[in-house]
Amino acid sequence: MAETVAIEARKLNFYYAGNIHALKDINFSACKRTVTALIGPSGCGKTTLLRCFNRMHDLYPKNRYEGEIIFEDKNILSNEIDLIALRSTVGMVFQKPTPFPMSIFDNIAYGLKLKGVKKRSDLSEKIEKALKHAALWDEVKDKLNDSAYELSGGQQQRLVIARALAVEPEVLLFDEPTSALDPISTGKIEELIVQLKNDVTIIIVTHNMQQAARISDWTGFMMLGELIEFDKTDKMFTAPSEKLTEDYITGRFG
Amino acid sequence: MNIEKRRKLESFIALLLSTLAAVFGLLWLVFILGDVLVHGIGALKLSLFLNDPTPPGVTGGGLRNAFVGQLLITVFATLIGVPVGVLGGTFLAEYARGTKIARIISILSDIMVSVPSIVIGTFIYAILVKPVGHFNGWAGAVALAVIMIPVVLRTTEDMLSLVPWTLREAAFALGSPYYKVIIQVVYRGAATGILTGILLSIARVAGETAPLLFTSFNNAFFSVDMKGPISSLTVSIFQYAMGPYDEWHMQAWAASFVITVFVLLLTILGRLIIKWRYR
Amino acid sequence: MPILQKKNPVDFSFSLITALASFTVVLLIGGILAVLVRESSLSIQKFGIIKFLVSTDWNPVTESFGAATTVYGTFVTTVIALVIAIPAALGIAIFITEISPNFLKGPIGIAIELLAAIPSIIYGMWGLFTLAPIMAKYVEPALQKSIGKLPVAGMLFQGTPMGIDLLTASVILSIMIIPFTASISRDAFNLTPAVVKESAYAIGATKWEVVKNVVIPYSKLGVFGGIALSLGRALGETMAVAFVLGNKHEIATSLLDAAATITVTLANEFTEADTDMYLSSLFYLALVLFVLSFIVLAIAKFFLLKAERKYSR
Repeated sequence: MAETVAIEARKLNFYYAGNIHALKDINFSACKRTVTALIGPSGCGKTTLLRCFNRMHDLYPKNRYEGEIIFEDKNILSNEIDLIALRSTVGMVFQKPTPFPMSIFDNIAYGLKLKGVKKRSDLSEKIEKALKHAALWDEVKDKLNDSAYELSGGQQQRLVIARALAVEPEVLLFDEPTSALDPISTGKIEELIVQLKNDVTIIIVTHNMQQAARISDWTGFMMLGELIEFDKTDKMFTAPSEKLTEDYITGRFG
Repeated sequence: MNIEKRRKLESFIALLLSTLAAVFGLLWLVFILGDVLVHGIGALKLSLFLNDPTPPGVTGGGLRNAFVGQLLITVFATLIGVPVGVLGGTFLAEYARGTKIARIISILSDIMVSVPSIVIGTFIYAILVKPVGHFNGWAGAVALAVIMIPVVLRTTEDMLSLVPWTLREAAFALGSPYYKVIIQVVYRGAATGILTGILLSIARVAGETAPLLFTSFNNAFFSVDMKGPISSLTVSIFQYAMGPYDEWHMQAWAASFVITVFVLLLTILGRLIIKWRYR
Repeated sequence: MPILQKKNPVDFSFSLITALASFTVVLLIGGILAVLVRESSLSIQKFGIIKFLVSTDWNPVTESFGAATTVYGTFVTTVIALVIAIPAALGIAIFITEISPNFLKGPIGIAIELLAAIPSIIYGMWGLFTLAPIMAKYVEPALQKSIGKLPVAGMLFQGTPMGIDLLTASVILSIMIIPFTASISRDAFNLTPAVVKESAYAIGATKWEVVKNVVIPYSKLGVFGGIALSLGRALGETMAVAFVLGNKHEIATSLLDAAATITVTLANEFTEADTDMYLSSLFYLALVLFVLSFIVLAIAKFFLLKAERKYSR
């Protein structure tokens, strides 16, 4: 199966606040139209790695990258990269739902307006598409002007996904998107993620190994800032090549 | 008497004393408020709002000049104080969040909130009255604005800090520059809190007298010229209450009533908004 | 702290504007200090610091000025006000947090916050028209007949009861700071974790013992801070005392004498000062008050920050 690489980290090192070595020589890639999961014990660096792909770490001072991340033939760690453009092609969904304090409509319009979409009809069209895409349209189509806070937690999370989808990103990063949700909402989000891979490349950090096994094509196992093993999900969960991975997925620690 | 009984008795007496202290404290306050209401309502007349002061002895005078002057001074103070306060609070909670400089400015503002207002009056006199050569309304407005700034700044800082940090990251992740994140997302999230802070700060300065004594001073005539001395309710109350005429005393009570009602309404409104938003 | 996106000119300018706005606070505090020092330099040069603070002269005619009488008046009114206000305020705080039935907690709490919002000029005027006559007619004669007969303590209540005096001013000041002090103390009391209180009850402590041995020790930093904050406010209060103190520049030995505080002197004489030295001396008084209250407020803030750090752990 010839899969093309969408985004790739080469010899990536990352340091927090100048000197805390959080990622060590990471070589990692995510293929187009697949779901790649990152698992590992807390503090292993999986979220840190995820946040390198849209350079979220640049929001805080003294954080430092070494190595390269190649995306669309460019090293996105270079200084010439326009972060604002990067972030509108690499979207992100957070652990807790993060609807903005505005209406459902305006929430999704927010990213579009940043990209310069102004006409009401264009906005409406794109918003409907995004909401349908995120399987939320039927539930909210009659109350687009209500505050986003009126929605349930699971609906809010899908709204946030729709908001990220509306700007048509190439890659979508999920940071434990279901850890704050009930099992039913979790199921819906998982279903959605599997569907979405037809259009976007997905990288998901999860605490829940079963979730990784259920929805991902590739899995990376991280520990203490290192990528211990990276392989097809089927192989990873049935015949891991590393002892540490086996210990972790069989629940012998962590 | 056994030890349990003694302890229970001790507890009873101590709690009784606390309750009495509470009643003592609250009674005074009820007394004051009741007195202002009774005297104030008794002295309220339409002429108070419609007429300007008359010479002592001539009846039918009012405080129209003071109402208008007070309004002008308060409005201009708000127009100066609120933007500075909100923007300053934004710096502390956003661009300078977690830095030492934000911490220091925050502590200084807390101290500044309680600095004697009459000292601020003398300061403004030195910089805005003495160089001009005469008392003026602008000096009064600036004096009140100086009192407002730290109040608004601190509430803005607190309210912005209550907006979850992930909300900002979510906006950044969509490719938004920080100023847009602040204006379009963070301000919206904190709007009711900031509004309450503004209302309470207006309530605070609307009753201030000391900083106006030597800035806007007083004016027995109707004037809307902010470049000259301008009358205010609070300074008029001071002058009238200390004066020898009964008619003046009546008007002072009526003006006190109006100010008290205004301040209390603003305060209640502020609390209601908070309660309604953060229930 | 998110770092500045220097590449974006709008963002950079916005951050500069907000920085400038927040620096006005520093500028104001520095400005007040600098301007007051400049304006009082004439007086500082003539009277020095120690001499000004200990001199009881306040004579515009001979242009001989000292701060002792007004500093004395400020301290006496503030101390008496705190002596009256603290027990009442703590009583209210204990009542709200521990004694009051639940349905009363809210209303009393709101009443206190509202009363703290009433402008001080209202308290002052009420003092002049209502409290002063009551003091002169009933309270002060009664005090003279009781405590006034005692040796030493009786000294405090000599003279004709007029109602316009140190005692009345202190009482009004105390009434004014009660709600403020009560509300801060209540907030401090409320921070005592329920578990800690419950464990005291569980070993058979009475309600008072819980308050005395658990709640008060636990919240004492916050209460200290609150009291210091009230002290700072009382020092600088003008309008509540301006009506009933009489502005008399003498060291009064009796509480039934008229007196002056720094604030009252400023309020009454600032616009009348006709010579440079007179005005400069008034600025000097304002400077003394500013420095004094700044120190007290800084100490208050220190306690409150310490309390905050303790609770947040």
